[in-house]
Amino acid sequence: MRMILLKLVRLVVVLLVVSFLSFWFTKLIGGNNDLVAKMIPFSSEQEKERVREQIGLNDPFFTQYFDWLGNFATGDLGELYTGSGENVDSVPVSEVIAKRLPVSLLLMLYAQLLALMIAIPLGVYSAYKATSRFDRAANITMFGLLALPPFVVALVLAIWVGAKWQLLPTQSNLPEFPLNPIDNWRYLLMPTISLALAQIAIYMRLLRSDMIATLQEDFITTAKAKGISARRILFRHALRPSSLTLLTVAGLNVGALIGGAVVVERIFKVPGIGGELAESIVRNQIIETQSLVVLIAIFYVTFNFFVDILYSVLDPRIRHARAIA
Amino acid sequence: MPVPSHNPGDDIVQGLVADEQRHDLGADEASLYFTAVEGGPEIDREKLKKKGLGVGAWLSIIWLGLLIVTALLQPLLVSSGLVPDPSRVELPKISGSGEALVVAKPPSLEHPFGLSTSGNDVFSLVLEGSRRSLLIGFVSVFFGLLVGGFLGVVGGYFKGKTGGFIGSILDILLAFPALVLALFVVQVLGRTVFNVTLALAIVSAPVLARIARASTLSWSEREFVLAARSQGAKHRRVIWREVLPNTLPAMFSIALLGVAVVIVAEAGLAIIGAGVNPSLTTWGNIIFRGQPELKEAPHIVLAPSLVIFFTVLALNYLGDVVRARSDVRESAI
Repeated sequence: MRMILLKLVRLVVVLLVVSFLSFWFTKLIGGNNDLVAKMIPFSSEQEKERVREQIGLNDPFFTQYFDWLGNFATGDLGELYTGSGENVDSVPVSEVIAKRLPVSLLLMLYAQLLALMIAIPLGVYSAYKATSRFDRAANITMFGLLALPPFVVALVLAIWVGAKWQLLPTQSNLPEFPLNPIDNWRYLLMPTISLALAQIAIYMRLLRSDMIATLQEDFITTAKAKGISARRILFRHALRPSSLTLLTVAGLNVGALIGGAVVVERIFKVPGIGGELAESIVRNQIIETQSLVVLIAIFYVTFNFFVDILYSVLDPRIRHARAIA
Repeated sequence: MPVPSHNPGDDIVQGLVADEQRHDLGADEASLYFTAVEGGPEIDREKLKKKGLGVGAWLSIIWLGLLIVTALLQPLLVSSGLVPDPSRVELPKISGSGEALVVAKPPSLEHPFGLSTSGNDVFSLVLEGSRRSLLIGFVSVFFGLLVGGFLGVVGGYFKGKTGGFIGSILDILLAFPALVLALFVVQVLGRTVFNVTLALAIVSAPVLARIARASTLSWSEREFVLAARSQGAKHRRVIWREVLPNTLPAMFSIALLGVAVVIVAEAGLAIIGAGVNPSLTTWGNIIFRGQPELKEAPHIVLAPSLVIFFTVLALNYLGDVVRARSDVRESAI
């Protein structure tokens, strides 16, 4: 319990520093004038001054930071500016995120599930039949998959499945993106596969090597001596103790998954957070970019915090070792 | 039960996970490298000793060598006329009907990778792009390795306050998913080759630091390090002479994988629209420019994608071979 509390304090400190650095970095390099001039380049000086005042760019640095932090904590993530000339319009970033976050979460969940669903049986079977022809073939295939960046898979799928055979839509920028799996699978299937392929290789290799180690333990020999079927031994006895590293890495991999999702969402025009991040960059909406980056960092760090705790809950040995230490 | 074959990637992964448990580092992006580390081919050490490098390693070296040499000689190849000028535009012959003409052409004997939408030879574009993409890949990992390696070795060797402080710095850098941090840095600093290289160096430094740290931790607890200390060797000497030589092979092999990751990241950034300025040709930018014509001219995006795939494959393979070979000494002890 004390361990968790300590970690929680650390988490909060990291998040505060992350928020400060992001803010400082944007301010330091972006500069006050540049920031607004980039966001609404075609507006009059008057209009720019109004926006500057609105964002609070004329205040002292620390006032700005604490205002921003306070706003961030209460859900005001700044505005993104559209339109040009005198018709500058603004939309709250939080509204955009609220609409797009579920799509991204769904996409990552699908990708993670698909990867694990394929990797677990493959890994278990490969370990069971280690050095067999199947194992070797799987090995080589996985090595190839690892070298395949998500965007290459995405482009290949978009060209053939999407454009040539027209089986699935390549553009998913719908006005209302359906959150129901029955309606949205057509739009999310290709992005999911693009994200999942490389993960399959990672998970499968990890599970295989842990499983091989577990299968040499005495309790497996005992189980075999009792005449329990191979399948039951593999999935009931050996899988759980072998899956701890897999679980950690699956958690840590969310970072790579987020990065991949940004690119893949952009390619398929999926209306998710990653796609929005790319959009904000193309449209020079620096405040929006900053808010999204900080938000993603918060999500990522918090997620890893929970994976870490889950890890020690699942493996009593670690809990124990930490209590002693 | 069949005899399990040893996968060279396991040591490092297990080491990192153990490191995680011992030092409560929290979030980390080592996953990026797990990606490359884990899928290693089965490399038989005995075979390695007898037969030298093996076919796969030689193929990888040849491919990378070819890439680097042609990238270096690209201006010469263009001026001597062996390769068409990437900026030269080849327009189709105007037919009388006045319909909209498609300039992009699929691969042919004359243009092995076809023509781009604006009529450039895609092969020579890829060649030109390899100059910047490889430069970004190698330079950013080199600096990432310098900074990250230093932080990691020092942080792993001095476990107390220094280690804790360095750990916190890494924690903060690792709080951002790599690509997100990179695009943020590029967006704020501007889309030049230098800034993209800088951003990717910033991203790879903490990851390389983690590897260096995990490796240093395990080596600095060995008897010979203790022996050197007890003979009165100074910390600097112990690090330089005892610890560093042993951690270098692992770091070098991870750095090779890192180059692959960075090359992919450059392309990813370009596709998002946050990479090097699209008017400069890189592998990523060729894909970025070719995307609108995905259906009519898929060869434009496929050519650089394929080159990236083979490059990553070669770098991953070589990284594994380096590690497997450097482990030989370890297992002989």
